[in-house]
Amino acid sequence: MTRILLAVVGTVLGLFALLSFKTHPLTTGSARGLPSASLPSASSGATPGAGSGAGSDSSSSAPPNPASKSTPPKAASSSSSTAQRTIAGQEVQTRYGIVQIQVVVSGSTIKNVSFLQLTADDPRSQEINDQAGPILLQETLSAQSSNIDTVSGATYTSEGYLQSLQSALDQAGIK
Amino acid sequence: MTATLSVPASRRRDGQDYLRVGAGPALTAMWAGAAAVVFLWWHDTPFVTGLDGWLTNAGRITGLLAGYLVVLLLALMARVPALERGVGTDRLARWHAMAGRYTVCISVAHTLLIIWGYSVTAHASVLNQTGSFLTSYPDVLMATVALGLLVLVGVVSARAARRRVSYETWHFIHLYTYLAIALAFSHQFATGADFMTNLPARVLWSAMYVVVAVLLVWFRLVRPVVQALRHQLRVVEVRRESADTVSVWMSGRHLERLGIEPGQFFRWRFLTRGRWWAANPYSLSAAPSGNLLRITVKHAGEHSRGLFSLEPGTRVLAEGPFGAFTAGRRTRRKVLLIGGGVGITPIRALFESLPGEPGDLTLAYRATSASDIVFRDELEWIARERGAKLFYLLGSRGTKRRTDPLNAANLERHVPGLREHDVYLCGPPGMTERAQAELRKAGVPRRRIHHESFTF
Repeated sequence: MTRILLAVVGTVLGLFALLSFKTHPLTTGSARGLPSASLPSASSGATPGAGSGAGSDSSSSAPPNPASKSTPPKAASSSSSTAQRTIAGQEVQTRYGIVQIQVVVSGSTIKNVSFLQLTADDPRSQEINDQAGPILLQETLSAQSSNIDTVSGATYTSEGYLQSLQSALDQAGIK
Repeated sequence: MTATLSVPASRRRDGQDYLRVGAGPALTAMWAGAAAVVFLWWHDTPFVTGLDGWLTNAGRITGLLAGYLVVLLLALMARVPALERGVGTDRLARWHAMAGRYTVCISVAHTLLIIWGYSVTAHASVLNQTGSFLTSYPDVLMATVALGLLVLVGVVSARAARRRVSYETWHFIHLYTYLAIALAFSHQFATGADFMTNLPARVLWSAMYVVVAVLLVWFRLVRPVVQALRHQLRVVEVRRESADTVSVWMSGRHLERLGIEPGQFFRWRFLTRGRWWAANPYSLSAAPSGNLLRITVKHAGEHSRGLFSLEPGTRVLAEGPFGAFTAGRRTRRKVLLIGGGVGITPIRALFESLPGEPGDLTLAYRATSASDIVFRDELEWIARERGAKLFYLLGSRGTKRRTDPLNAANLERHVPGLREHDVYLCGPPGMTERAQAELRKAGVPRRRIHHESFTF
């Protein structure tokens, strides 16, 4: 009887331990959803979430040109403030994980910025990401550019973030 | 036909010691195999995330382990001589039974976890997911049949069920595990994430199955046939030893090539009309001498009662020798042998043959009354010839009021320096357990108590 109990408990604990060791490179809060930040504008009726799927398609390989060319034909009034575009930034591999952002721009205004990917190779990095991610997003909205400060203590994440953001803004033609 | 007192050492004819794999190395190898299997999963899995990830990956690990364990179960029962001599048939059988129950459980867990995990990923109901597994995943239908068979075998083998099911039925149903293992094999490569894209893993995994299959065919089919043809065993004489005990003498050719160690047993098949299909394990009750073998059997069941009527000249198929209850276990100069009931047979063979100077060997014979003692003359003759000590512990089993004659105080009184002895113990299960407890009480360390107990 004790043997059966031992076998069952041992197996369950063993599986649990094995699996939990493998949860390291967690996408930050995959269950909670990645952080994002939007401008509190009343006018924007568009849903950024819907565009995110399309945006991620052009993520890794798309150079700036095709992306900017593919949008104008559809929206002839590209300069008009109502035309929103969702652009994915470059996927950046940092020392501690992967960072990739996505912006929703309207004209030259950054309406929304969010993470497509924010992975961490260890629990400590994940903590740092959790803390630094929202700060970086807020700063981007305030600055309306990639001209923001790195978050202290999160240098690698900040640099990866900036690189990904810059690539997206380049595509959007925002300086 | 008197017993001749030759003292064969436990060595092969060419003077080499027999190849033995002990319990420690065998267990280490088995655990290492399991670790390698888990490592395969570890190596192939970047990370686990979400409820479905946890479930599916738990399903993958259990599946891999089940695939490994079914092969291990067969390997344990392949009757590989190095294991039989080193670990012992009784222990192999116990390991097989334990691992078998575990394998059935883990196979069921694998199935449920995979279904649940996939259904979470696909946002499908568990029933729909099961349906799509059966219809659209390659070879999963076959594997499901295999699971059914495994569970059937598991249920039949479960101890409670076994008392209600005859040995023959149980044995017959057990053969379905071969079918189950064959049916379950293809889905491992067709759908197993660790094998689909990993050729080296497929090669190693297949090699493991092939090696075990070869061991099985060789040691369970080819070798017995070769032995039967080579040795041509026949019954020479059947002799009544007591009211319910009978000895069967058999002769054959080239018996020295069997590599028998005293204390070992064979699975015997007497080729008569009503008995050829049953192979029963009986220990040799004497060290082999010349071209003669002897077994001694107490009639307990249908088969053993039939031995009384065996005719001389009857052909015999013997599979063996098996068992690690031999001189190979010995670590000390002084040895105490304890025998009871029909367990006296291998003890008798050891008493005759264990190497030792006068005074090294002691035999304690536990019996209910003097009339139950078999081999009395033989044992006393051996004791005299070898300068060994022999004493009887007579009386009925102990109760709350009366102590059993087999107790620590009695043993210590008869055997000076008991702690320094190796103890060989063979008898009915109740007696063996009791003797172990008493020996421990008398200060004999567990590792020096060697026993063999069968519950076939």
